Amino acid sequence: MRPLTRYWFGDVALARPYLVLRFVLTMLAFDSWLNLMPHGAKYGVGGFNVAHFPVFGDFVPGSPFYLGVLAFTGVLALSQALYRPHRIALALVAIGYTVGWTCSLLDSVSYHYLMSLYLGCFVFFPMLSARAAFSRSDRAPRGSAWAYVLFCVTTAIVYFYVAAWGAADGEPYWLPMVCSGAYLVASMQDRSDSPATQIAMPFLGVAPVAFHVVTPMESWFPIYMIGIAVLVFTPTRSIHVAGRAVTAPARSWLQDQSEGGIDERASQVFYFSLVGLIAAPVVSMFVDLPGVKTGCALTAIAMLFVIGRQLYLTPKWRPLWRAASLFGGCLALWVTVATSTARFDYYRSGAIDADLRGDHDTAALMQEKAERYAR
Amino acid sequence: MRSVETEPPPPHPSPKNRRRSGVFIGGFILLQFLIPLTYLAREDTADDRFTWRSFSGPDEPVCETSASLETIDGRREELALKRLIHRDWVDYVGRNRRVVVEAFLQKQCEAEGVLEVELINRCGDDRGIREYRLRCGGERSHETVRTAAR
Repeated sequence: MRPLTRYWFGDVALARPYLVLRFVLTMLAFDSWLNLMPHGAKYGVGGFNVAHFPVFGDFVPGSPFYLGVLAFTGVLALSQALYRPHRIALALVAIGYTVGWTCSLLDSVSYHYLMSLYLGCFVFFPMLSARAAFSRSDRAPRGSAWAYVLFCVTTAIVYFYVAAWGAADGEPYWLPMVCSGAYLVASMQDRSDSPATQIAMPFLGVAPVAFHVVTPMESWFPIYMIGIAVLVFTPTRSIHVAGRAVTAPARSWLQDQSEGGIDERASQVFYFSLVGLIAAPVVSMFVDLPGVKTGCALTAIAMLFVIGRQLYLTPKWRPLWRAASLFGGCLALWVTVATSTARFDYYRSGAIDADLRGDHDTAALMQEKAERYAR
Repeated sequence: MRSVETEPPPPHPSPKNRRRSGVFIGGFILLQFLIPLTYLAREDTADDRFTWRSFSGPDEPVCETSASLETIDGRREELALKRLIHRDWVDYVGRNRRVVVEAFLQKQCEAEGVLEVELINRCGDDRGIREYRLRCGGERSHETVRTAAR
């Protein structure tokens, strides 16, 4: 194998793509609901909008559109983190998330672009079950995962540009440059059993953690990047042990249930899955934010599309678990919104803005809702 | 009997798949290198999207903005920006983000009988006073920059 081929297609510990994908998707869901939804009221105000790209033309996204996209993206992302991910669902998450921020300059948070790049990589990640990534063997399962290597290289390019712009502006640039180099070699660590590599990698991982601790950044970006650095740079043995502990319930309980011949297509599974898909968006009725019901209903349609093929091609319990993961996503959205200030912040900011613009009727309606959800 | 605890890892890609993946990888990386470089050719230096120049929000202070329009019958009307658009857009306009200024001026031109729209940003720093004037029907506003009066 040529060095470049070995770099991209060589083995990595499967624990890493498994955990990175689930970590980012889970964070993305809660980030969307807790940090983006409260700002939804400003969308569509005055019928004015400028999108990131001209492709949107004169389209003015309103609050229901924006919140609907966030609900759709978050619920689908979390459902993919909860159960074995599916490429079509991940592609829909990537599209939904990217449409969510590109439709307006009101969302100009720089790391949302990076998340879109990551989601693009995730579509090509190996779709691993907990069993595939953390089997009983003492040796961590390894396999080719070029999209994971691309994920690491994407991160390295980001740090490279941080260093380059820093150098151009006469600022210190060695730390982001070390981060860039570290991510370039990180994916090779699982191919070497040399103790030197295993010892050196965690030290290299300190660089991105330190960079995100000392540099002021927006929102949850440092949490994303520190979490990713931990998953990418932890020694193979440790990440395998930690992953086994985290996925123990999934491997011993959920996965055992999925055994069964694909030819024994029980009709009950079909009907249970269908009921689950209908029941899941019903939960969103309690969220009381515009567009969320539509967003959750669309996740159910997306999941039906994913399950549709699986009803005939995969072990018989898998569709049911997919419906359950969607239900879990919708439930998590409701609990998150109900137990946080997201809903209150949305209505309060909407009321303040409507009042500023002299739209006192809307302001009164929004204020009434804000008072209802004041904590 | 097959163990319920183990599952084989995904197979290694075939040479054909490796070639296809290689094309995707090459394109994806090339784009990621080129997109930040577009900053060097951007007319609006305040626009540093997709460049990784900054991970925090804009630190540039917002200028004092006023806007007015002239109707066909020669009347001049002041525009209350905060009543027309969301305050986040007003901040964009106040930071001289050209694409938002253009869109705002074009939007005001959509009203009946408007001849010209003018927007002035008084920044009080080295950005000076910036005047944007759009003759309705025109594609792009004319920008005038003056040094701030000390």
